[in-house]
Order: sequence, then structure tokens, then C-alpha cells
Amino acid sequence: MRLALSLALAIGLLSGSATVTSALERLNFSWPVNVGPLNPHLYTPNQMFAQSMVYEPLVRYGKDGTLEPWLAESWEVSGDGRAYTFHLRQGVTFSNGETFDAEAVVANFEAILANRERHAWLELANQIEKAEALDDHRVRLTLKDSYYPVLEELALPRPFRFVAPSQFVDGGTMDGIAAPIGTGPFVLAETRLGEHDLFRRNETYWGKAPALDEVDVKVIPDPNSRAIALQTGEIDLIYGADGPISPDSFKRFEAMDGYVTALSPPYETRTFALNTNRGPTRDIAVRKAINHAVDKDTMISAVLSGTHERADTLFEPGVPYADIGLKPYAFDPVLAERLLDEAGWTRQDGGTRSRDGEPLRIELCFTGNDAVLKSMAEIVQADLARIGIAVELVGEEESSVYARQRDGRFGMIFNTTWGKLYDPHAFLSAMRVPAHADYQAQLGLDDKAEIDGKIGKVLVTRNEEERRALYREIITRLHDAAVYLPLVYTNAMLVARPGLGKVPFGALSSEVPFEAIEPGDL
Amino acid sequence: MALFILRRLALMVPMLLGASLVIFLVLRLGPSDPALDYLRLSRLPPTPQAVEAARELLGLDRPILVQYLDWLWSALHLDFGVSYALQRPVLPDLLHYLPATLQLAGFALLLTLAISVPLGIWAARHRDGLPDNAVRVVAFLGVSMPNFWLGFLLIFLFSVELGWLPAMGKGGLSHIVMPAIAISLMSLAINARLLRASMLEVAGQRHVTYARLRGLSDRKVERSHILRNALLPIVTATGMHVGELIGGTLIIESIFGWPGVGRYAVSAVFNRDYPVVQCFTLLMVAIFVLCNLVVDIAYAYADPRIRLSGEGTR
Repeated sequence: MRLALSLALAIGLLSGSATVTSALERLNFSWPVNVGPLNPHLYTPNQMFAQSMVYEPLVRYGKDGTLEPWLAESWEVSGDGRAYTFHLRQGVTFSNGETFDAEAVVANFEAILANRERHAWLELANQIEKAEALDDHRVRLTLKDSYYPVLEELALPRPFRFVAPSQFVDGGTMDGIAAPIGTGPFVLAETRLGEHDLFRRNETYWGKAPALDEVDVKVIPDPNSRAIALQTGEIDLIYGADGPISPDSFKRFEAMDGYVTALSPPYETRTFALNTNRGPTRDIAVRKAINHAVDKDTMISAVLSGTHERADTLFEPGVPYADIGLKPYAFDPVLAERLLDEAGWTRQDGGTRSRDGEPLRIELCFTGNDAVLKSMAEIVQADLARIGIAVELVGEEESSVYARQRDGRFGMIFNTTWGKLYDPHAFLSAMRVPAHADYQAQLGLDDKAEIDGKIGKVLVTRNEEERRALYREIITRLHDAAVYLPLVYTNAMLVARPGLGKVPFGALSSEVPFEAIEPGDL
Repeated sequence: MALFILRRLALMVPMLLGASLVIFLVLRLGPSDPALDYLRLSRLPPTPQAVEAARELLGLDRPILVQYLDWLWSALHLDFGVSYALQRPVLPDLLHYLPATLQLAGFALLLTLAISVPLGIWAARHRDGLPDNAVRVVAFLGVSMPNFWLGFLLIFLFSVELGWLPAMGKGGLSHIVMPAIAISLMSLAINARLLRASMLEVAGQRHVTYARLRGLSDRKVERSHILRNALLPIVTATGMHVGELIGGTLIIESIFGWPGVGRYAVSAVFNRDYPVVQCFTLLMVAIFVLCNLVVDIAYAYADPRIRLSGEGTR
């Protein structure tokens, strides 16, 4: 008996010690590709979620939608709106021990601006005239103009984040970095091409230390394989805004015991841009009829398994300056038919309508290998056929779709807004650039030049009232002209094993908030 | 024999040259502009200046033949350029991913041979009997089932339901079994049926009847007089299967999370990442040609008629 007891005790102790050694909390995650070299100032193949784990901004976009102090504790704006002085947080070091100070910040800004052309899509990169250190902990940015969304663009996942200057190559970052050394909560510990990327907690992190010791990001390209990996325990978490698994896989997990599933609030709006400069969509009656004829609710339940919310406006009301009470184009096929009849598009025997010999035929362009987009396009095709509009589906490879966006060879084309921190200002700003589908789609509007002028103005006005009024005018104008067919608001999907505790959503669609995960028992 | 091999190896040079020219030209016949693809993949805005700069950088402003010779010259120095999308040199990356792919394809090839030959013999021995019909069913399924679907079925059964095998990743034998089966089932099915047909054909020939008349045992007749002759078409077919298996591997890798060249190559094709596509295709051509050379040598070795007639004409 005594022997049995001591054996039991010994086993208890052993297993006790076993749990102590396994207290290393490793979260297994997956991503379709390796995270890349993690250069904070460059784009693909660097993956944004991983850049955000390692590098931090001066100001951060918080959960409640406000910009909060981060590596900068406070800031002042000069009276003319052209100079921003940032007071840096003290006691912050890069993960290799280097001090994060004004000199490091200025070196990073200079490295970014040395590659200005590459960042030209982001207006702030064009606006910054110079960055200078006032002392060890104060940095001043001087702008060319009183551009207002400075803090918004500084908070983006890239390029305005900071790598240890000792890692620069040839005095900068545009030709690469030696190693990804940032100030963030995690450090990249190991990369194996095609297999995984391993992140460890940054032990010298200035902020609240993450509860996770390690995050292992396995390379799993296929969404179905990812779903299986969660089921077989190879990964603990599925998370992402880019459809990490198909909507029906998500529904399946929702119905299964033992998994936590959640959908984030909306991040972006998925729309069709309707070309005002080409084919029948030149006619506003046709564009309005399209807006009235598509049954989005059915599309959402049939194709997206109810995982998305219906979008009725280009920007959801939560977007800054966009809550302006626009009247949605309601689903009303009868009204749609009447609009077409009144505009002279006549129909015989339920066939395709035509006017003066021009058939009401529209090309709908999309990336052909995306099954969800294809199904959405097919539903639009069927809905529009009912009111006598023939839709020709043009599914092509990404590069061809891109070429069409660029030179306006489309009737309707999938188009997504850019999401938090970009909407509305950066998305509107890009409408002035000919290479964007929005520019091409709006080209047929009589007042396109005027709209562009207003966009230029809204970005630099210092008067809040005027800014609000200008945004209202621009967004209302685009809505009334029915240049877009808003479809759904995109969101992030989350499926987790229950031991993970509560997993919050990132404030930005590109972030995975690993630092906020506090696992119970993995 | 050595001369035969040398001659065939020498023939590879014009073959690869020709292939590289065709690949280079066909890629550029597409409707899209490499300069725009470059900008899109590098996430650069396609302003007219940027397009012009990219054109110059990529040498697109020069005649296509000059571009080809330029590329060829670098390629001869083992410099296959830098991937547009990844901004990394192409060759080292390809050589990093390729071994895993070849390992999987090689294992699948072994599996194909190890299973299809006994199955074919078994089916031929029991013509129209139960074994023959069983092999027929397997062959029917094998040829008509897409390999990625089979892959998912295997994962569902052995990983999700039974929990016997890991669903993905690279490791020991347990990791390679399912993807290898998924890839090889089709080749295996074709091979088994081919061997059966070939054995039955040879079995009807006169030398087999003579062998039987000489009083040789059934086993001996089958081994020395039927099988050896019947294997020749299998050798040829195997050369063809190598291409099939590598092609299958490219798809299956992505399902089983196998760290091979598949995803790298397929996304390069979708992206029109020219340097990657050129290097990858050329490597595949080289591998395919080499495999066929091995097959031809094996053929010559197995069939004295080929070996001897070759020597006779010299």
C-alpha cells in the first residue's frame, strides 16, 4: 500500500514536472506563404501581419478607432499644419539592445524617403519634406503642405515603422536589411522556406509582455488543408481577412463542438466599379437599375454562407466622415425594369434589352481562379438577366484583370476599398490616379475634374467643417451617380481551439493580435 | 554502350537550347506586358515613368532575340535572374525547393513500380478471374479520380477519422505515404493494366509455346519468357510517368503542405513571374529528358536487339 502510494506520488510529481516543462506556450498558426525577409519598408513578399509583430509605429490605431500614442508618447502640430513634433517614448530598445531614439527614427525616415517613388501611392511619402532630430527624444517631420491624415498614415503597417539602423544595407533599406530587428513584441527566430517561420517573444519588450512564448507560422497554401490542420491539431488558430478558409468550412466549424468561431466587424467594402465611360453603363439609368436589381442578401446566404454583411454604400457608416445618411438603392427589380424602360432600353419576349440597336450587354471582369468571386459574379449575372441585361463573365488571371483596371477595359469590375486608416482619404486620393479602376470607372462623369479637385482639397484643408462638407459632397456625388455596386463588407474570420481563451480581433485587417492572446491550456 | 550514352547526352544540348528559346518566346507571346507585370509584382505604381524605367531595367526596349541571347548568356553562368515577385535570385530558391519535390516524385515512382508490377502479373495470371476484375476496378478508379480529391479522401480517412497519419508537413515515412499514393494511383493503374495486356500478348507467342513444350515449369516460363519480354512497354511507359508524377506532385504538395517547388512554380505562372517560369520550365525539361535517357538505356540493356543492332551499324 505504501509502495503504491509513493508510486502514485512519484507519478504525480513526474507529471507535475512535465507540465512545468511544457509551460512553454507555443501557438501554431498558418499562412499561405513564408513571411518574407521582414523589411519594414518594403512590400511583397513581406507579409503585413508578420511585419506588424516585429515593427511598431509612432502612433497606433486602437481598437476603438482612435489613434493612440505608441513609440511616440505625444506630439504637437504647428499652426500651419506642416510641422509635426513627436516626443519619443524613452527606455525603448530594439530587440538586439540598440537604443530607439530620435537618430534611429530619422535614419528610418531617410531610408524610406530614399525610395520615395516606391511609396508614392501613399501621399504622406510625397508630403514629407524632411525628418530631423531636435534632440535625443524629439523628432520633427516637415511637410510640403498641410496634409491632414498624417497620423493615420504613420499608423499603417508599412512603411513608416522602425528597424534597427545597424541592420541597414548600403546605408538604407531599399536593397534589403541584414536582419529583422524591431522594437515589437515578437522577434523572428527561424525561417525555413516552404515550411515555417518561428517567432519568439521579445524578452526586452518595453510594453506588456505577450503571454505566448512562441508563434510558429506553418506554410499551408491550401484553405482546405488549413481547415484540416486545425482539426488534426497541427495548428491552433485560423485567422485572416483574406478568406483563410472557405465560407462553408467556417460554417462547418461553427456547427462543430469544441471550436471557437467569430467574425470581425467590417474592415473593407467589396464592390463592383461600374464603368461610366464605356458601353451601356455610360447611362446612369443602367447603373441605377443594376444597383436595384442585385439581390445581395441571397448572394450572401448562398455564396458566402452568411459570413458577410450586406453593403449598401461605398464606405460603411463607421468609416470617418462617411456616416452621412445616404439612401441605399433597395433591392427592387420592378423599379429597375421601369428605370430601363424609361431610359429607352426596350425588351422583347424576355430577351436582352437594347436601345437604338445597341444591346444591353456588359462585361463583368474578375480573377478567374477565385471560386467565391466567380460565384458572386454568376449571381449578379443571373439577377441582371432577369431584368434584361446580358452580363458576359470574363474570368482571367490576375495580371490581365489588373491590366483592365488600368486602362478601363471593363463594364463592371471587382474592386475593394482599402480599409481602416486608408478609407476614406487614401482610397479617394487614388481615384485621381489613372492606373486605378476607380479613375477609369469615373471618367465618364461630366464633373470628374471637379470631383478630383475636391479630393485634392479635402486632403489639405485645415478646417474640419470644410473637410466634413467636402467629404459629404464627394461621397454623395459618387453614390448618386451609381458608379459603384456595393456588395458586402469584408471581415476577418477566426476559428480557434478552445484552449486558446478569448482571441480578440486586430484593429486593422492586416494584423493578427498575437500579443493579446492569453491561452488557457494549449 | 558508353558511346550510346555519350551521344544521347550530347543531344541534350541542342534540345535544351531549343526548349529555352521556345519557352522564352511563348511566354512573351501572351497579351500582357512584362514591364507591367514587374511593376504589379513589385507593388510599384504603373506611372508612365515607372513603366519606362521597368522597360529599360528588364531590357524590354531591345529586340527580342537580343533579350534572349542576353538571358542565355547569364543562364550559362548559372544566373537565372531575380524573381519579380520575391526579389530573390531564382536558381538558389528553385534548388532549395526542388529536392523535396524530387523526393516525393521519386517515392511515388517506386510505389508505382512496386505495386503495379505484381498487380499486373496477378491480373494476367488470372485472366477474367476475380483478381483481374479487382485490378480492373482499381485501374478504373485510379484513372478517373483526380489526385487532389484522392488526397483529401486519404487525409479525411487516415488523419481526421483514424488519426494514424499526419495530415501535412515533411518528416518521416508517415508523412510521405499519403501524398505518394495520391500522386501515383493513376500511373500505377495504367501500368498494371498495361503489363497485364502485354503479358497476355507475349503469352500467346510461339516462343512461349516452345518453352512450355520443352517442359519448363510454369514459373520459369513466366519469369524468363513472358515477363522479361512483357516488361519492355512498361519501361517506356515509366519514362512517361515521370512527367506525370512530377506534374501531380506540384498540385499535391499544396494540399499536404509539402515544402516542394509546386507552390513556388504555380504562383509564378499565375503571376507571370518570367524569370522563375523560364528557369523552372527549363529545369523540368532537363529532368524529363534525363529520365527518358535513363529509360532508353534501361531499354537497351533489357533488349539485346536494340543494344546489338546499335553496335552492328557502327
